[in-house]
Amino acid sequence: MEILLDVSDLEPCEPLERSLEAAGRLAEGDYLRVLHRREPRMLFPLLEQQGFAWEVRPKGPADYAIYIWRRDDRLAREFVHQALDADQAC
Amino acid sequence: MLNRAALSLEQAPPISVPLRFFLTAPLFLLGAGLLLLAYGPEALASRWSPVTLALTHLLTLGFLGMIMWGAMMQMLPVLAGSPVPAVLGASGVSHLLLGGGVVALVVGFLLGSPLALSLALGALAAGVGLFFLVVALALWRAPAANATITAMRYALLGLLLTALLGGLLLGRLIHPFGALDSLRLTNLHLAWGLLVWVGILVLGVAYQVVPMFQLTPEYPPWMKRLLSHLLFILVLLWSPLYLFGGNRLAALPIVLAGLVYTLFALTTLRLQGRRKRRLPDITLDFWRLGMGLLLLALPAWGLGLLYEGWLLLPGVVVLGFALSVVNGMLYKIVPFLSWFHLQHRKLSLLGGGGPRVPNMKDFIGGWTLDWQFYLHLAALAMLLLAVTGWRDGAYPAGFFLSLSALMLWYNLFKAVRRFYQVRSELEQAIPG
Repeated sequence: MEILLDVSDLEPCEPLERSLEAAGRLAEGDYLRVLHRREPRMLFPLLEQQGFAWEVRPKGPADYAIYIWRRDDRLAREFVHQALDADQAC
Repeated sequence: MLNRAALSLEQAPPISVPLRFFLTAPLFLLGAGLLLLAYGPEALASRWSPVTLALTHLLTLGFLGMIMWGAMMQMLPVLAGSPVPAVLGASGVSHLLLGGGVVALVVGFLLGSPLALSLALGALAAGVGLFFLVVALALWRAPAANATITAMRYALLGLLLTALLGGLLLGRLIHPFGALDSLRLTNLHLAWGLLVWVGILVLGVAYQVVPMFQLTPEYPPWMKRLLSHLLFILVLLWSPLYLFGGNRLAALPIVLAGLVYTLFALTTLRLQGRRKRRLPDITLDFWRLGMGLLLLALPAWGLGLLYEGWLLLPGVVVLGFALSVVNGMLYKIVPFLSWFHLQHRKLSLLGGGGPRVPNMKDFIGGWTLDWQFYLHLAALAMLLLAVTGWRDGAYPAGFFLSLSALMLWYNLFKAVRRFYQVRSELEQAIPG
C-alpha cells in the first residue's frame, strides 16, 4: 500500500525528519512516496543506515517523488515497481 | 536511478571539520573591528596603508577564507559524492596554516616586519597549496558535475591565482624584484579574489542554499549553466588586456562581469520575493542586504573612479556583500549540520527510538541573532560613511564590527554547545 507524504512546503530539517519518521512506521508491504521540491541527498545516507531502499523520480526542476521501502520487504518492492511502471506509462 | 549518488556516512566529514573553521572565523572579524577602533581613519587612509592591508586581509583571508574553506570541505562529499582525501589531517593542517598565516601577515603589515611577512608567505603558500590539492582532487573526481561543482572548480582556480598574485606582491614587499607595476598586480589580485574566488563560490552555493533554506523557486537553469563560465572567461580575458594594455577598452570585460553580478543579485531578490513561506528569517535579511550591496557594486566602482576620496567605496560595498551572505549562511549551515550529525548518531546508537533530536531552530535562535544583524548593519553603514567623507566613522564602524563579531561567535558557540549536550544525552540513553 502507498503512504503519501508531501514535504515540499516544509523548511529544513522537517522534510528529512518527517520522511524518516514515516519510513519508520512502514508496515510490511507498505511503501512511502515522498513529494519534495529538491532531491534530498542528505536523507539517503540516513535511510541506508536504517535498512531502507529508495528510488528517486524527478518530475520537474522543483518536483521530485522519492519512493522508500524496507530493503528486506519484497512485497513492498514489488508494489513500488508497479507504481513506477504506471508512473512511466502516464 | 536506484540509490543514486548515495553518500555513505563514512564519507561525510566529522562535524569538527567545518566547526573549527566556523568558530575561528569570527575572531578575525573581531580583529578587524579592533584594528578599526585602534587606528580609526588611518585604517582607511589609502589602499596602500599597511593598516588598510592588515584590515582587508583580516576580513578576506581571516573571516571569509576560513568559512569558505570549512564550508567547501563539508559540502563537497554531499554535493559531489566525492570526499576530500585525508579530510581530518588536511582540514586540521590547512586550518592552522591559514590561521597562523593571517596572524603573521597582519603582524607583518602593522610592524613592517620582513620576518613576519616571510613567515606569512610560507604558511599561506603551504595552506593554500594543501587546500587546493585536496579540494581539487575531490572536485575533479566528482562523478557528475552540477552547476555548483562547476562554480566551485572555477572558484578554486580563482583562489589559486589570487594566492599566486598575492604571494608575488608579498615577495616583492619583502625583497623588491621584477619590473611589473604593483598597482596593476594588486588590481589583478583583487579581481581574481573578489570576482572569481569569492563571487563565483557565492553563486554556486546560492544555487543550493537559497532554494533549500529560503524555500524559493530554483534559479533559472540557463543561469545556473552559464553564469560561472561567463564570469571566469570575462576575468580571464580582462587580465592580460589590463596588465599589458591598459586602454579604456580593457575595462569592458569587468563592466560586463559587474552586469552579470547585477543580474544574479536581481534574480536572487526576485526568487526571495516568491518564497513559499513568508516567515521572518534572519538568513534572508542577511542575504537581502548582501544582494542590495551587490546591486550597488557597479555604481560604487564608477563613483570610486570619479571621486578620488571615494576610492575605497567599491571595496567596502563588495566586502559588505560577501560578509553579509557568508554571515547569513552560517546561521543555516551550522544548525543543519548539527541536526544532521545528531540524527545520524541517534540512528546508529538507538535506531528509531530514544530521545528526539531537536529541530534546527533549537540550535540557533532568539534576540541575539537579530541584534547581531543590526550591529552588522550599523558597522557597514559606518564604514560606508567613513569612506565617503566622515572619516571618523571608522571608530564607530570598529565598535559595531567588534560587537557584531563577538555576538556572531556567541551565537555559533551556543549552537555547538547544544550539539554536544544532545550528543551526550543520546549516548546516555543507550540501553544497558
